[in-house]
Amino acid sequence: MARLKLSGVKKDFGGVEVIKGVDLDIEDGEFVVFVGPSGCGKSTLLRLIAGLEEISGGQLEIDGRVSNDVPSRDRGIAMVFQSYALYPHLTVAENMGFSLSLRKTPKAEIDRSVLQAATILKLEHLLDRKPSQLSGGQRQRVAIGRAIVREPSIFLFDEPLSNLDAALRMETRTEIAKLHRDLAATMIYVTHDQVEAMTLADKIVVLKGGVVQQVGAPMELYRNPCNAFVAGFIGSPRMNLLKVDVTSVEDGKARLAQPGLEHLVVPAGRVTAPGKALLGVRPQTLTLNPGQHQVSGTVTLVERMGPETVISIRLADGSSLLAVLPGDVEQALDANVSFSFADTDVRLFPASDLEN
Amino acid sequence: MRAERILVNAGKTLAVLLLLVWSLFPIVFIITSSFKPGREIFAVPPQWLFEPTFDHYITLWQRWAVFFHGLLNSTIVTIGAAALAVVASTCAGYVYSRYSSRWLGASLLSLIAIRLIPPIVVTLPLFPIVNNLGLADTHFILSVLYATFFVSLGTVLMRTFVDQIPRELDEAASMDGATLPVILWRIIMPLAAPGIIAVAVFVVVFAWNEFLFAFIFTSTKAKTAPLVISEMIGSIEGVDWGVLFAASTIQLLPVLIFVMLMNRYLVAGLTAGATKG
Repeated sequence: MARLKLSGVKKDFGGVEVIKGVDLDIEDGEFVVFVGPSGCGKSTLLRLIAGLEEISGGQLEIDGRVSNDVPSRDRGIAMVFQSYALYPHLTVAENMGFSLSLRKTPKAEIDRSVLQAATILKLEHLLDRKPSQLSGGQRQRVAIGRAIVREPSIFLFDEPLSNLDAALRMETRTEIAKLHRDLAATMIYVTHDQVEAMTLADKIVVLKGGVVQQVGAPMELYRNPCNAFVAGFIGSPRMNLLKVDVTSVEDGKARLAQPGLEHLVVPAGRVTAPGKALLGVRPQTLTLNPGQHQVSGTVTLVERMGPETVISIRLADGSSLLAVLPGDVEQALDANVSFSFADTDVRLFPASDLEN
Repeated sequence: MRAERILVNAGKTLAVLLLLVWSLFPIVFIITSSFKPGREIFAVPPQWLFEPTFDHYITLWQRWAVFFHGLLNSTIVTIGAAALAVVASTCAGYVYSRYSSRWLGASLLSLIAIRLIPPIVVTLPLFPIVNNLGLADTHFILSVLYATFFVSLGTVLMRTFVDQIPRELDEAASMDGATLPVILWRIIMPLAAPGIIAVAVFVVVFAWNEFLFAFIFTSTKAKTAPLVISEMIGSIEGVDWGVLFAASTIQLLPVLIFVMLMNRYLVAGLTAGATKG
């Protein structure tokens, strides 16, 4: 088990800076998830921690020891790769025991450790197989088993579920969560899937363009996103961001000018002056019941899932809006509908949040 | 349609047969001749039925002991050259596969360019250097020379093979605690085995049969078998063709067996990278 501290960590590839000074504290035994769209630098950040890439600037401390130049094999870290990266010429048992055999651990002890990890992951009957004889899910479990056998202080997962089908993804996700409870080890997990992030993490780190946007517990990020990017990224389906005009900002309250939203007074947040702004409304907070604050548009898509119905509408300004309504709701296409929401359920962001 | 297909198949079969005769005839001729009584070897018309005799082999053993010493030299030089070329090509192929820079790209190009220079151009100026270093007439110099001429081709071939091994395997091994030599030995080499075998076959065939360098750089101690065979032709007592063919047969067999055993891997090696594996 280990603590991890990143201070101003930077990485550039041939002059292009992809990690632009990341500060982060990861506590012993914490499950931290890096999320962000592709190209945000989350995998690079993980590889910097793993020691697979050289850190260009800043400092990485593992358990209080500066580890920038420590080779990855001496960092006490195990990593589960997106592609599994199993050694194709070795059996499952040999794959899992590879690290121990390099350490010249006695054969009996290797066998015991491998069997122990295999039992946790229900792989006992596959130990003599080669990776090519395994299914995707089994390969994934072997890759996790290989990490467990090393008894690392930190586990790194690089999008480990992205090659699995939906059912298997959910099952493996549950297994990883259980593994974290059982081993109580520090785990860092990279994904672009915010559902994985919300369900697994003690702490989520949202990245965009090599910069940390927000760090916090899943529900904290869901309830109080610090900017429009985090608001749009955390939550499924994504939060609606309506383009609105702020007419006045007084005592931390902003007043809007949109038809249907004339009476809306919301906490101004980081909006300090009248002008363009973004109003964040979660799809689940919209209802078809008439209310004081309303948005209207034409229905473009109705997705009936059973327990809930997702309705997309196009607003007058051409942007679209999603509403998730409980139960099965029948709604004709191209009809005009109005959704209402409570003023406690919205957040205001500066329009500049979505520029760049 | 059917007639056409039969015609095409017949044509193909004929072409294969012609190729077979063309390439097998010298081998069959040498091997059968080595078992024929002396005067029947060049008899016209050729004698296909004859009583085999081991006389030539016995004569070879009794009068040309130096040939067997030559075979031992050939074996040492060939194994040395193959080992050197395989190790150097694998290491270099790994570097060219895993790292990239302008200089590496340029050096790979120069490797291929060097391969185009006629070997003799490089060899003659080497002679005084090798002499001054006291390396003339040693197994070492022949092994190094033979390996050197194949490292360029071997490197390009090995790079193709290493390219097919996902980089994540190196990274996984490195996180598992492996150093670079361990990664090469336990991950890269087993997975690139078909490539290693292809390189080895090339070097073995070349080194086993090579004449020119051996002629220039050896005199007695490291003299290889092909040199002894050439001496048989220049013998003052006239050419004893039966003994010559017996020696050629012995010279031919090891490399023939080796290539046949490795054939399966060789085909995989030569077509590597042609399609996504």
